[in-house]
Amino acid sequence: MKKAIILFLLLSFGLSQSKVSIQDKEIEINENEAVMEVLGMVCSMCAFGIGEGFSKTDFIDKSKFSDGVSVDIDAQYVQLGLLESANINPEKIVQVIQDAGYDVSLLFILQNDKLTKFGTDKLGILQPIAFNLTSDRSN
Amino acid sequence: MFRIFFTLIIIFSSVSAHPVIFKNGKVFWITQNPSFNDIRFGVSKTSNWLIGGRILQDRKTDETFALMNNNYLVKRWNNKNSQANIYLLSSVGLNTENSESIASTGIHGDWENRQFMVMEMLEYYSYNNAWVSNTRVAYSPFKVDYSKTSAWFIAHYRVEYHNDSYSYMFLPVIRLFKKNYLFELGSNGKNSFLSFMTHF
Repeated sequence: MKKAIILFLLLSFGLSQSKVSIQDKEIEINENEAVMEVLGMVCSMCAFGIGEGFSKTDFIDKSKFSDGVSVDIDAQYVQLGLLESANINPEKIVQVIQDAGYDVSLLFILQNDKLTKFGTDKLGILQPIAFNLTSDRSN
Repeated sequence: MFRIFFTLIIIFSSVSAHPVIFKNGKVFWITQNPSFNDIRFGVSKTSNWLIGGRILQDRKTDETFALMNNNYLVKRWNNKNSQANIYLLSSVGLNTENSESIASTGIHGDWENRQFMVMEMLEYYSYNNAWVSNTRVAYSPFKVDYSKTSAWFIAHYRVEYHNDSYSYMFLPVIRLFKKNYLFELGSNGKNSFLSFMTHF
């Protein structure tokens, strides 16, 4: 009975979760989060600028991760907590990474139970390449 | 004699880290050895351009120098697990006692991944007509996460061409950094230095 109530509550609040793959590592992504592969991020001192950049934006949920940002240098990815109320523009996310001196090659955003995958084209411009991936929960 | 000494100061304190950092990022940097105190402050106006000021104090003569630095990232290659850069460097300044002017210009190239780094920097100093080459090859035995302390062992080789003669120096350096703090200690028995830098 208790399990059923918990399941009901989870479904009622619309919590969604998925997994994405970056450099052969599976990363769990939850509702109102973004995960991106960042090229050139080779040291912690370099990665510090990424956290600083996102701390000055208005779409980061600072209650998640470390002030809203998690950096994994080994797997070369950055995970963000996003404010539910924020109107997320993927280009703004990529701009923060570029201002820190790095490039984004893949970006996943899970919002409103929809997982969208963005990739950079031959000109280096970010384009959505797959929509609403949550039905199969994979990338 | 002083000019040779001054060249050494510039060399030791300008090869320690990336010349340009993240947009609107600030860098504070202090270096000390038995001969001088060196304090730097810089602001990256963009992710390609850093401008900053620097105060140098000769601890023996108490002479003080004020300089402006201008570093420009010409090209960066961001790849999976590695990065390469080309920078142009310049600085101009004055001796605060007698207004003697000093200037330098240079080019810096580097490549690094999580465990290896190579760097070459070639600079020209107008005040004593000297060319200086600094080469660094570095290795980090451990790949560490963002929140852990990273240790690097660096072989630093310097060649100076001045008054139709060359001088050479080899210096082993240990670099430690964690998040936005970097510390370097280098010594070959005759020459040594200590450096601390932070980004914020």
